[in-house]
Amino acid sequence: MSNSKIKIEVVYALPHEQTLLKLDVPPASTIADAVKFSGLLEKYPEIDLAKSKFGLFGKLSKADTVLREKDRIEIYRPLIADPKEVRRKRAEEGKVMKKGGGDI
Amino acid sequence: MIAALLVMIGIAVFLGAVLGFSAIKFKVQGNPLVEKIDAVLPQTQCGQCGFPGCKPYAEALAKGEADINKCPPGGEEGIHKLADLLGKEFIPFGEGAPPKAKSVAFIDESTCIGCTLCIQACPVDAIVGAAKQMHTIIASECTGCELCLAPCPVDCISMLPIAEDITNWKWRYPVFPIQATI
Repeated sequence: MSNSKIKIEVVYALPHEQTLLKLDVPPASTIADAVKFSGLLEKYPEIDLAKSKFGLFGKLSKADTVLREKDRIEIYRPLIADPKEVRRKRAEEGKVMKKGGGDI
Repeated sequence: MIAALLVMIGIAVFLGAVLGFSAIKFKVQGNPLVEKIDAVLPQTQCGQCGFPGCKPYAEALAKGEADINKCPPGGEEGIHKLADLLGKEFIPFGEGAPPKAKSVAFIDESTCIGCTLCIQACPVDAIVGAAKQMHTIIASECTGCELCLAPCPVDCISMLPIAEDITNWKWRYPVFPIQATI
């Protein structure tokens, strides 16, 4: 029945190709279980359960976090730019940083 | 005579009770038209209509205070739906809301610093990312509302128009020039 499974989503986003899977998993599944179940590990070999970072709706979460109904598991990729380096470069160029943004 | 009067009074009391009961039981909360209009609007909450969200715009439409052509994310299709719903004539996008090519946001990965400000701004959860992780926009979820552009401290988000292909091509409405005949 429907109450024996919980509905979740798994997302892995590349710049030009985003995979958004809707899955039914057993209750008390963890993030790692869902990622294994999604089949994304086979499709994208760069995802590593031990090394990749995961999260739920923009919040970093450990791979053993237990899922709840309608959670969206996000598989993250590391940054390319070093935030400190970007900041230094912008300061050298004399650009004003928007603090928090929005107003300008 | 008295029997007839009693019957009439009985019927009046009964019908009055039914009306009174249904007035309480089936009371309509708020304006049902607002709900219908709100359902047609794209729920991007982008504020491009000049109202602070889709619901306020729907309320203004229901009162007749706003034009139906103020919602760029809804597109021409949205104007047609609103025109049908409100029994108004179709009006194309005016000067206040220019018909932009439908586009989605795109993050330049070489400058993104993973600050999550765009994620907090996105009304439709179309951005995947967390603190100090690469942020990526799910193109199929993005409504093109441009709300993520302003918060980005490194200006790494740009809008890319969606190329017209066989899946999203639309037949243009025919335009007939009207000529006066004397």
